[in-house]
Amino acid sequence: MYDTTSEKDVDQKTIKFSARKVQVFYGDTHAIKDVDVDIEDKTVTAFIGPSGCGKSTFLRCLNRMNDTIDICRIEGDIRLDGEDIYDRRVDPVQLRAKVGMVFQKPNPFPKSIYDNVAYGPRIHGLARSKADLDQIVERALRRGALWDEVKDRLHAPGTGLSGGQQQRLCIARAVATEPEVLLMDEPCSALDPIATAQVEELIAELRRDYSVVIVTHSMQQAARVSQKTAFFHLGNLVEFGETGNIFTNPEDKRTESYITGRIG
Amino acid sequence: MNTNHILSAFDRDLEGVQAKVMRMGGMVEQALRDSITALLSHDIEMAARVRQDDRAIDELDEAVKSDCARILALRAPTAVDLRVVLSVIEISSNLERCGDYAKNIAKRTPSVGVQHDIMETGTALRRMAEFVQAMLSDALDSYIHQDEDKALDVIQRDVEADQMYNTLFRSLLTHMMEDPRSIATAMHLHFIAKNIERVGDHATGICEQAIYVLTGEMPQEPRPKQDSTTRM
Repeated sequence: MYDTTSEKDVDQKTIKFSARKVQVFYGDTHAIKDVDVDIEDKTVTAFIGPSGCGKSTFLRCLNRMNDTIDICRIEGDIRLDGEDIYDRRVDPVQLRAKVGMVFQKPNPFPKSIYDNVAYGPRIHGLARSKADLDQIVERALRRGALWDEVKDRLHAPGTGLSGGQQQRLCIARAVATEPEVLLMDEPCSALDPIATAQVEELIAELRRDYSVVIVTHSMQQAARVSQKTAFFHLGNLVEFGETGNIFTNPEDKRTESYITGRIG
Repeated sequence: MNTNHILSAFDRDLEGVQAKVMRMGGMVEQALRDSITALLSHDIEMAARVRQDDRAIDELDEAVKSDCARILALRAPTAVDLRVVLSVIEISSNLERCGDYAKNIAKRTPSVGVQHDIMETGTALRRMAEFVQAMLSDALDSYIHQDEDKALDVIQRDVEADQMYNTLFRSLLTHMMEDPRSIATAMHLHFIAKNIERVGDHATGICEQAIYVLTGEMPQEPRPKQDSTTRM
């Protein structure tokens, strides 16, 4: 049932996102400097680094969430399946349907569980009938590992769920539009260890179908869930490699200092 | 990696377990020295003491392993910290084995008579023991001072220890062929020589760990092997 692909099997993967010479400026602040990175399909990629290193900023470039910030300016080239996502012809709303996002704090809409999940498919016209939509909602909730817990109360408000359930609801909402990539910005930092484990288990399953990029402050979480790890420091991508290597034998002294918890 | 951890208790844990392994190293060196002295001076009491003291080495080995398990569970070490913990576990096992060899030499001491013609090999045995002890002490030095050159040098020296063993093997074999009455003593002396030779291998193992902690990789070149007695 589960594929037992180990973290060693990350080579020979197709590239989903390809970023070249990416620069991000917030006004005069140079937040991301010359970042080159390839993000693979069906792989969990973790972004780690100290606060303010630019990892979330870079994540938000991947589905143009930074477009909403007026003073933010992005240079360089980011391609999804070879297509420039900053091309004028690309509709950011369509892009975000393909590149879903889950945030730090669970943020369900103040609507029913059903409507939370049905929202995306509705606005993107993915369902032709009520039965169709029911099916999409069930599939998404199953993917979010939440179906069994909520199938009897689909019309109860999403905000009435526990924190961990709310986060899984947000993941279900994100996968309902059948995205190709899932971006997660510290998805477990507001969750208890059990809910965290459930979300991590879910990430491992989602990896079979999606490319997942996760920003995390927890070294152990990056080590547990990802196959590739990128270490950001002061806006630079310092090191990018196979997770097992990064955590046993990193090449760069800055990476080593950070992951071992040293001042440096 | 000289900078300290933000969490200073982590530094204390790592330093503590490394200190234990070094203390163990000192005890093993002492045990080897005493076992050879006891053998060559036929000092049964001293040999008995070596056998008794081995228990302390074994206990220290257990303490090191349980400290390491605790660090792994509580601190989840990564990168160089993880390599230090793994190397300490390995070195502790190396030293524990060396302690056993000293104990085995001590055990055989009462059975080795003072047969003069055979005890000529005693000089060769002493020379080999001193050579291997120096290897062991340099191996521990290379580990604690993170000295890759010294570690590589000790690994190379193992060739010489193997050759010393070959020579001893040949001369003991000759004694046994010439005079069957010497067989019992010569067999004991042969096992003792083999024990000493094995200490050299463990010193090499410790050096490999020193290099692993420094570089993250085991030394590339295959360990030199000069034991030709399997073909004699």
